[in-house]
Amino acid sequence: MYSVCLTFSHFFYNMSSQEIQFDEIISRYRSDPYDYVDMFAIHTGEVHFLVEENDVVQGRSGEWQHIAGSPLYEINRERNPKIISSQTNGTVSSVCQALEGQFVESGEKLLTIRHPLKKKEIIEAILQEVLFLFEAPERARYYFAMDIQSRIEQKGVRSVFIQPGDEIITMSLMKRDTPVFYDGEPGIIHSAYFQPGDSVDQGVPLIGVCPEEKVSLVQKVITRVKAEWE
Amino acid sequence: MSRSHVLRSRELALCQIDTSPFSPDQAEIILRYGAPVGSRLEYHGQLDRCMGRLQELMGAAEQKKQTLAAGTVVVAETLTRSMGRFARSWHAPAGGAWLAMAWPDTLLPEFARLLPFAVGLACCRAVRAVGVTADLKWVNDILVAGKKIGGILCQTVLSPGGERFHLLGMGINGNNTVFPDELVPVATCLSEELGARVDVSSFIGHLLAELSWSIGLLHYDEQLSLGQQTDRARSFPFVMQSWLAYCDSLGRRVEYGFDVQETPMYQALVLGVDPCGGLQMELDDGSLITESSGEIRYL
Repeated sequence: MYSVCLTFSHFFYNMSSQEIQFDEIISRYRSDPYDYVDMFAIHTGEVHFLVEENDVVQGRSGEWQHIAGSPLYEINRERNPKIISSQTNGTVSSVCQALEGQFVESGEKLLTIRHPLKKKEIIEAILQEVLFLFEAPERARYYFAMDIQSRIEQKGVRSVFIQPGDEIITMSLMKRDTPVFYDGEPGIIHSAYFQPGDSVDQGVPLIGVCPEEKVSLVQKVITRVKAEWE
Repeated sequence: MSRSHVLRSRELALCQIDTSPFSPDQAEIILRYGAPVGSRLEYHGQLDRCMGRLQELMGAAEQKKQTLAAGTVVVAETLTRSMGRFARSWHAPAGGAWLAMAWPDTLLPEFARLLPFAVGLACCRAVRAVGVTADLKWVNDILVAGKKIGGILCQTVLSPGGERFHLLGMGINGNNTVFPDELVPVATCLSEELGARVDVSSFIGHLLAELSWSIGLLHYDEQLSLGQQTDRARSFPFVMQSWLAYCDSLGRRVEYGFDVQETPMYQALVLGVDPCGGLQMELDDGSLITESSGEIRYL
């Protein structure tokens, strides 16, 4: 379990008023071009840390993302130990050492990884604050519903308008296909974060949806960050 | 083929079903969970698709402010627009066993994900019951000496009123001995394997009895898990233990892909199946990978 700690309330405010404080956003990222990824206990159990502060860790790798990342901690519940690995590369910025060898509850924060952001990730992080993110309901493989896929193929992903109740994606788990219905705000699919057939973890965004009136604004953000971020 | 014959065969088969290794009391609980299978049975000479008909029935029931009965089964002698996953065409002429069942989504997600295994198990046991040695290829392809004798399509759908049902489609080649050219090398049927025609109604009755057992077993697994009567966290659900007894994928070299026919992704050695049904494989570089969806082709 992990989360990304980025706050953009100021940015949000300006987005809603259709104005963007580009300099402020850029300088914010220039002064701290990192993502802070908190790692939480995946379930109850006794915790033993496998890293220390300032250790460098790696995320998943391999052609199929099948090679586990650096081991971060072991959690043992009823003599069933599990090693939890890093999902991202970076440096361990803090470890809750007081919890070493202790029994923790599910969801307790255990450590934080400081992940250096690339330009593409910065654009995506900004966009993810602006777009409505539709997340994977379960760890499964996903593909677009046939109607959506054909519209994407004909017109491109950013021309596909969706609204609540639309069947947009099919979730495939153990050869059982389940339609996934959209429940966010109406808009166009601005970003697709998966390729049809990709395995996506629960809670990870599948698509980012942008209200039609904000499309040009979002494009402005991308252009500006691309131009200014070296 | 007739509806009454199917129902009579199901009742007979339920009395003869292999309930080992369970005690009579446990078997009774399991069969009680599976009892709704075939509670309503609709028989057609010809249909577009059995699953489509079930969706019509869902809508019709809700218009009358009712709910489609759990375990409603639709059987057809021929299907004109049948299809498999990824909109692959499915050849369903007269002589085969073509059916679909609606099962309400009452299982917890960790058990609902095992439904495709339970259905595969039921089909495989029913094929073996008529004397054909079938095996299961992960997840639920039914093969006889490497040739496909049956297929399963599982979908979860929302009824017009918003109720979730699992639609479990099953197709077993029975007396249909003629296949499209491209399927001839890879398909077989019961009559070809047995050297004699099969009684398709009787076979479907037997299949429904096996479905009662395997789906009942899945609900029994859930009951044990909720009651924590045993340390289920570290053991295999019974339905997976049974499924493994019929699976011939372990130790095989395979090609894996989400849609392995169109876009094969990699080759690997199958090491095992985890309690959640995930396929554990070893890649050529020695690293391990577990897949929870997709399909494999034996090499």
